Amino acid sequence: MKKELSLDEGKAPCDKPIDLLAELRSTPIKEHGVIDLLGIAAFFLVITPLLSTHRITDFMIFCIFAMSFDLLYGYMGRLSFGQMLYLGTGAYFCGLFIRYVSGNPLLAILAGIAFAGFLSMLLGLIIVRTTGACFALINLAFNHIGFFLVLSPLRGITRGEDGFGVSASKFGSLSLTSRPIMFGFVLLCVLLVFYVLRRLTSSPYGILIRSIKEDETRVRFLGYNTFYYKWLTFVLAGSIAGLAGSLTALNYSYVNPNAMDVHSNVGVVFACLIGGAGNLYGAIVGGVVYMIISNLLPIYIYRWEMFLGFSLIIIVFRFRTGVWGYIQRSWEYLVKRKVVPGAMKKEAI
Amino acid sequence: MLEIRNLDVAYGHAKVLHDVSLDIERGEMAFFIGRNGAGKTTLLKTIIGLLKPQNGSIVYQGQEISGLSPEDLYLKGLRYVAQEKKVFGNLTVQENIEIAAFASGEPMDHALDKVTRIYPKLKDFLKTKAGQLSGGQRQILLVGRALVGEPKLLLVDEPTQGLAAIVIEEIVNILSGLKDQVSAVIVEQNLAMVNRLADRLFILKEGKVAREIVDRSEISDTKELEEYL
Repeated sequence: MKKELSLDEGKAPCDKPIDLLAELRSTPIKEHGVIDLLGIAAFFLVITPLLSTHRITDFMIFCIFAMSFDLLYGYMGRLSFGQMLYLGTGAYFCGLFIRYVSGNPLLAILAGIAFAGFLSMLLGLIIVRTTGACFALINLAFNHIGFFLVLSPLRGITRGEDGFGVSASKFGSLSLTSRPIMFGFVLLCVLLVFYVLRRLTSSPYGILIRSIKEDETRVRFLGYNTFYYKWLTFVLAGSIAGLAGSLTALNYSYVNPNAMDVHSNVGVVFACLIGGAGNLYGAIVGGVVYMIISNLLPIYIYRWEMFLGFSLIIIVFRFRTGVWGYIQRSWEYLVKRKVVPGAMKKEAI
Repeated sequence: MLEIRNLDVAYGHAKVLHDVSLDIERGEMAFFIGRNGAGKTTLLKTIIGLLKPQNGSIVYQGQEISGLSPEDLYLKGLRYVAQEKKVFGNLTVQENIEIAAFASGEPMDHALDKVTRIYPKLKDFLKTKAGQLSGGQRQILLVGRALVGEPKLLLVDEPTQGLAAIVIEEIVNILSGLKDQVSAVIVEQNLAMVNRLADRLFILKEGKVAREIVDRSEISDTKELEEYL
């Protein structure tokens, strides 16, 4: 002890920001083994025959969007009511790229991600300075502005309420207009996003953003520039939402202002709460459950939104860690006998 | 090591510290005692950059630090252990240490070793969520975490508040082990602890330094000191 703590020889702690690429390289791979990825792939492949390829592709895109939202809300504790802005930006720029620049779908997706990322970089400089309700509402405000812009002032480019068709050319011998190929491509994207986020959230960067969620001031006591990490997370979440938007544009071969509809933000919030916030599996499970409810329930129940409201009330009061959290804890209780059932109730959303 | 001159601090219009001036030498353990509202915590919060002084200066190792942010002060070797014993409750004990190790660039195994050496029982709780620890264990974790990354000055606010006597003894032993290795400014009401550890004692009264005591026999005179609590 005496040798380690020296008043004179102590060097100042390093203030190097976390390098996300280095984090990805250094986090042990075995912790995020292929079993997880195979499990997710198998899950989507199994449920596909029950519905349709196109629908499941849509579900998977929503899951990517839910993971981007979960990074912000579940991991960093910043509830956003404006994540659709970045999804819409991705969709529009992907569509516009195909329409005006090149039909190459991969380049179009990159354009969608880049512009959504760029927008989140700019807006993030303002937005991440806020917390709580202010953070949620300022996101909503920017989403409203974006929605208004594509609807009216930019209608010369975006074709306003009518939207425009997106017909990507073939990529090599692959055509993303083919539903099975689009399904396979989106599945790969889901796995890639999951893999990257899983590794990041398991690294010191992940520990850091979870600490920010708990108590930002105390993270500053540990020498971190929390603004930078909040901004980085915001940009990462915006870029992933941009990917989801680009895939939406390609999946529907069409973009209209619905891609940026502020009301759709409720869906991703519900999905995260249903699945369990702060857990990537939860985002996927919640995304699928929400999409099943919102796609299939209207066929049988006229005012299906009421069911969604009731299910959320039940989740808030009974399953506060969401469906995945409950499954996880039940599994731990049954197999490892680690958790007292009553402890489940103590978890906050 | 730390020179404070003519420090005035206020919460809005309510002035809490009035013209506080003091010096703390390198390697010393300086204690602050005083009644509730005397300004002890305010003083620590001002040193660590959470509050901005109205007037006065805080010079640390020859450099003016008033107005610097907590993260800048961390990089200068200052560590703050707040009163509330707030660990990152949803992180494991190991993650609580890891986040400090990463900030300081200290290897994780080295940081873990450093923390568990001051309190070996923590080894059994490394995978436990820190929120499930007892108050005493949390306090020890916080003190241990503050030692990660070569600290130079510890600022500890009421480390024994609300803890059982046996845990207080443990904390006193830990802090005692740090004597002569790291400078510390400790706010404390437990006079037995002050008696055992203090090299210098400041008595705060209504936002002013009422007395400064360096003499050991005076520090040991707990009966007299009790009048100030």
